[in-house]
Amino acid sequence: MVAARQALHEGTRPSGVITRHDIHGDLVVDADVLVIGSGAGGATVAAELAEAGYDVVVLEEGSYYQTRDFTADTSGMVRQLYRDGGATMALGNPPILYQEGRAVGGSTVINGGMSWRTPDKILARWEKEAGLHGIAKDLEAHFARVERRINVAPMDAEAIGTDNHLLKQGADALGWNIIGNLRNQNHCVGSNRCAFGCPTGAKQSSLVSYIPRALHYGARIFADVKVKRIMRHGKRATGAIGTVNGTPHHVTVRAKLVCLSAGAIHTPALLARSGFRTPSGQLGHNLSMHPNVKVVAIFDQPVTNWKGAHQAFQVREFQDQGLVFAAIGMPPSVLAMSFPHRGRQLGELMSRYDNMMLAGMLCEDTRTGRVRSVNGKPQAFYQLADEDAANLKRGVSLLSELLFAAGAKQILLPFHGAKDLHSADDARALLKANTPTRGWEVVTVHMMGTARMGADRSAAVTDAHGMVHDADRLMIADASLFPTPIGVNPMETIMALATRGAAHVIDNARRLLS
Amino acid sequence: MRGMKEMTYQHSESTRIVLRSLVRVICPPEAAPIADDIVAHMALTIGASPAVLQKLIGTGLTTYDLGALPRYGKRARSLSDAQAEAYYVSWEHGLTPLHVQFARAINQLMSLSCYEQPLMMEAVGFRPGPWIDEVRAKRLRVFAADVARQEAQVLAPDPLRPSKPEAR
Repeated sequence: MVAARQALHEGTRPSGVITRHDIHGDLVVDADVLVIGSGAGGATVAAELAEAGYDVVVLEEGSYYQTRDFTADTSGMVRQLYRDGGATMALGNPPILYQEGRAVGGSTVINGGMSWRTPDKILARWEKEAGLHGIAKDLEAHFARVERRINVAPMDAEAIGTDNHLLKQGADALGWNIIGNLRNQNHCVGSNRCAFGCPTGAKQSSLVSYIPRALHYGARIFADVKVKRIMRHGKRATGAIGTVNGTPHHVTVRAKLVCLSAGAIHTPALLARSGFRTPSGQLGHNLSMHPNVKVVAIFDQPVTNWKGAHQAFQVREFQDQGLVFAAIGMPPSVLAMSFPHRGRQLGELMSRYDNMMLAGMLCEDTRTGRVRSVNGKPQAFYQLADEDAANLKRGVSLLSELLFAAGAKQILLPFHGAKDLHSADDARALLKANTPTRGWEVVTVHMMGTARMGADRSAAVTDAHGMVHDADRLMIADASLFPTPIGVNPMETIMALATRGAAHVIDNARRLLS
Repeated sequence: MRGMKEMTYQHSESTRIVLRSLVRVICPPEAAPIADDIVAHMALTIGASPAVLQKLIGTGLTTYDLGALPRYGKRARSLSDAQAEAYYVSWEHGLTPLHVQFARAINQLMSLSCYEQPLMMEAVGFRPGPWIDEVRAKRLRVFAADVARQEAQVLAPDPLRPSKPEAR
């Protein structure tokens, strides 16, 4: 049993966090459990198993930051907290820009903090299509535990900004279903910096919830360590070797169990380059992305989109059709880079920044892509399906209609070369307009499915608890596990599956951890 | 604290000059006095991007610079304002998708860096620093008890934790 440590206090680096500045040579570390990655999945598993008394080591490629490190320097935060400075792309037509967190806390440090359980219809689909019988009932208790841990709650009304009020106004005017978002936050005060590290500490990311908990119960976290490969003895995972960023030093962790939580892009790549093959041949396949697009609406009145809670509402009117709408505040630099305008035109457009509202949508996709290894690095390939493109275009039309109902005077589209919209009639006419997808700006932060779980080892990569088929003492706890896209923000599902996976390990400790 | 890639990348002199010449084409006129700051900021952004992208940008800028020679008899960096505008437009609506993509990428990178400059942020009324300070102080002042309660909850033993391990 590992003794509990002092809590993580802001302003001091806890002793359980080891960074590249602490490592001056090659290291060999022994542990009961090695967790690779410290995001929604990894941090959760680490905390659960550390609390159960196991010696847990976490290897995280990104650096360790604290709330005080999160500033108003937008691009500085992106460089520090995002993999490859946010310039990661799935190849296809159109290419899809995706973002992953790369820091202790993973993508929970940079996500919007939306906390939704997996929809019932999705769990029913998983039971039927992936043979995950009983998962819906089984996950209920795990969702409850996660929600308590990360304080899932509605927003305080006074933290909601003008952009979100306008979204609600438009939805109400059209009689559309709009709901208050549930978010992992404790009195969010609307700094609107979710995507750049919450500077108030209100967002209960893994960095301020599961990570401190894991440390409190004795886990050790090695930041700045990029895992090169998982070590194996036959089919049994025995640890991993990583390099310390910016140094020639190696960290070797020998463990009784390895949990891989590197996200849907890097998890399959790391398994593949470590020589693990699954009988299904599905490793790296089934990449879903929840592709999303955004529009920029310009109002006569000030919107000041950077003040107020991020995505305080979600429009659920079209959720059954795979579309969810939300308002998103963004700094002027991020908006400017999304516009095709330049020179004087860009200046004139940006002079109305305070009147701009950014709204986007999540699309539950129907086609999947895959992750391949190119020169030893993972590369995502994803072709937007025609039906998904049609759904996104319909979503843009509907969302624009909503924004005009809220009083927007002009809407800029995510389709390169498309004319701006000036009325609801324009929005409806968009459905008939020719907008070739090669000129679309599509982005995502939800990558899923590349190591899907399922009862049938000939069709899935892991079993129902995330244990890799045809491997021993190797589990996965991240969005790679999802058998299908889920149509809502995935963080809570990842955490619940990770909690369930950890419980499985505890229940089978004699076999997995002896 | 910065990533290692970010610390190692620097514009070559040629890259810096070509980017400097593009500021007048891509950024609003009021950004002219801060052209050097914009180009310097671009180095940080490029430095954080994948190595292959860094190489593509470097190669693309060299091609862009030299590509003006057949038409204008001089490099892109030396064109007059009107020529620079016309030449960029020729790439923006270019012969191949690669021309178009490159022009778009440079536009995006430079627009980002342009509106990351304090002068430009101030011009559009974006003042996040004081706002963050204000709401952070408010949270700690108004909700201190709940904040402390949640911090304690994060570390408290969980009565719902699953069964005890079979073996240690």
